[in-house]
Amino acid sequence: MKGYEVISALKNHLNEEDIIVSSNGNISREAYHILPKPQVYLRGSMGLPVSVGLGLALANPDKRAIVITGDGNFLMGLGSSITAAFYKLKNLKILILDNSQYYTTGGQKTVSSVINYTKFFDSLNNEIHCSKRASKDQIDHDLIKFLNSDTFSILHLIIKESKLDLTNIPWHPEEIRERFGIKLSS
Amino acid sequence: MIDPNKFLKLLEKRFQYISGVPCSYFKDFLAFLVSHEAETELKHIYATREDEAIGIASGVAFANKRALVYMQNSGLGNIGDALTSLAQLYKLPMLMLISYRGLEIDKDFPEHSLMGEINEPLLKALKIPYWDLLEDNWETNMIIAIEKMEETSSPVALLVRKGVLCQ
Repeated sequence: MKGYEVISALKNHLNEEDIIVSSNGNISREAYHILPKPQVYLRGSMGLPVSVGLGLALANPDKRAIVITGDGNFLMGLGSSITAAFYKLKNLKILILDNSQYYTTGGQKTVSSVINYTKFFDSLNNEIHCSKRASKDQIDHDLIKFLNSDTFSILHLIIKESKLDLTNIPWHPEEIRERFGIKLSS
Repeated sequence: MIDPNKFLKLLEKRFQYISGVPCSYFKDFLAFLVSHEAETELKHIYATREDEAIGIASGVAFANKRALVYMQNSGLGNIGDALTSLAQLYKLPMLMLISYRGLEIDKDFPEHSLMGEINEPLLKALKIPYWDLLEDNWETNMIIAIEKMEETSSPVALLVRKGVLCQ
């Protein structure tokens, strides 16, 4: 599967209250164009989406905070996944879309392929986690288990590199913050 | 040293979360905070890096709540992108407590010397407003910093010298 196909599948399992934190580049553009708006679309902020999701999950205990990150971004802030596992907020969900590339910047390789993600997540004593190649016949099952778990959960999906020809997010970051803030308080 | 009980009381009124990476300059305040975890409304989150703490405080600010972040000034070297491409870009208010190491070059450890020297120029270059957290009348600068944080909806900093939050 391609990244945007996973994000399209995710759309069917979201509820109105859900908070999405998308990481920079392609993933934020895809989240903006495919998923309900507004959400927290990060640009820049490399290595930080998991920590932003952790802050949002802390401050909104009754809502699910779902972080969508690429492998390069995830690895840059790897420590924050350890922090997230330490606090084990049941409303924090981390979806890693792994193409083993910095795809937005031109497809340079990341070092992600050396990691045995199953063993890594096991070492965090995390009850709900899954690492696999994304497949169309299993994606709904995987997303339901990931999203509906009563504990902190991580889903690591190996995807094919891809790029939809999408326009940039038209909102300035300040406008993203304002629109998202209005949604939360409404 | 500032009375940690009074300090925490003021923080609780304005912030719901605190996160950061410690410095020995915060030792006694952090010990007080941990020993009062059951009573305080201020939720403490340990971070692995200073930029992660900025990320956590950013998530909290996206939710219209407030967090403060504490770090040694060595951590200033780790948070440039988290400030410029997240907290400042999205206008996310937060208060940073930054220990002022390397002030006395021959007395502090050598790893703090250069950062001690460039600490304030670096904050100025980053366009982060900052004040000293003084031992006497500490509430004054604290309130000024918090008001600036709210007025600009952006990060601000307080520099913490030795003896202000530790004995």
